[in-house]
Amino acid sequence: MAKSKVRKTFLEPLGKNNPVFVQILGICSTLAVTNKLQNTMVMVLGVMFTTALSSWTLSLLRNHIPSRIRMMVETMVIATFVIIVDIVLKAFYPEMWKQLGPYVGLIITNCIIMGRIEAFALQNKPMLSLVDGLASGLGYAYVLLAIAFVRELLGTGTLWGYQVLGSWWTNWSIMIMPPGGFFVLAIFIWIIRETIMKEEKA
Amino acid sequence: MKAKATFYKKRIYPLVFMFAVTVFCILITSGLYLTTQDRAIANELSFTRRAILDAGGLAYTPTTEGIEKAYLEKVTVEDGYYTAQSSDGLRYILPVQGPGLWGTIAIMVGFEQDLSTFSGLAIVSQNETPGLGARIEEPWFTKQFQGKSSPFIFVNEGTAQAPNEIDAITGATRTSEYFRNLTNRAATDAKRIIRGE
Repeated sequence: MAKSKVRKTFLEPLGKNNPVFVQILGICSTLAVTNKLQNTMVMVLGVMFTTALSSWTLSLLRNHIPSRIRMMVETMVIATFVIIVDIVLKAFYPEMWKQLGPYVGLIITNCIIMGRIEAFALQNKPMLSLVDGLASGLGYAYVLLAIAFVRELLGTGTLWGYQVLGSWWTNWSIMIMPPGGFFVLAIFIWIIRETIMKEEKA
Repeated sequence: MKAKATFYKKRIYPLVFMFAVTVFCILITSGLYLTTQDRAIANELSFTRRAILDAGGLAYTPTTEGIEKAYLEKVTVEDGYYTAQSSDGLRYILPVQGPGLWGTIAIMVGFEQDLSTFSGLAIVSQNETPGLGARIEEPWFTKQFQGKSSPFIFVNEGTAQAPNEIDAITGATRTSEYFRNLTNRAATDAKRIIRGE
């Protein structure tokens, strides 16, 4: 396997083919879980685990899956990994599991996962698909963490649960409510597209 | 012969394949579920016990073992409520639930012997608006019930003074109202269930 290909597969989802701000996928969870850094971290780890391993598994099976039922098989494999995440969280991090509520189960509907499987894993070798899945998860992760950073800081004056802004700070409650997610995400996408992506095109 | 081959490939193989994948996936998930089930049940139990201890205003070390030890030492289960032996007398702890803005709010309420002074309060579950109504889970909010007596009046955040006044949550008027009704009802429920009044 050419090294440059692995490199390219790994770097693309982080930058010019980012699932969140270029493909605009996985927006539901981006809006829902980014009001606190801790929640966001657990969520992105769950998504990275699921994208990487389901891409790898389905790439292994890719020559055996009858194409008419491939969507069913994909959903089944993704659901299995999501349930694993859910069970492990429930058993070992019950507080976190309670806070994330239904969103862990909803990882299954994250379009990034099925998108990468359909677009990449079914045409490529398992190891390369694993790299692609992991990188897509990472590309999703850093965008969400950046958004969560802004929302938690402005919304509650804390970072990772620790108070960082003094008592002079008035919490912007809107930041931790769903509308705040829309605002921050939109501004984030706007800034990236106006600055970094414009330079790339020129 | 050829027709048979395509029949197999088109109809039978996908069925068999899907069946095999399904069985495999179910085996993995149910296996994992069964191996972690005890732990999940223990977590749930520990969570409830912790809420009871918090409501009773009882001291404990915040680990699973600490909670278990304190609970077994101090708490007795009665019919529909709990009693706990604290350093200053018997306390009554009652689980109550009622409507919130979006869903049911379930709480654990602890009473002193007069059944109107709260010894503490813990949230068991709630689905209020994150950042607004969900702040009922924050310690500053639940702690303020300690030592206050019902019926409560909710006042603007940061202005509670009198022994029946509670700081409401700014921007969560409806949740505050529901919570006031719930805590006030808890006191009448307690008198009915515990004393039969």
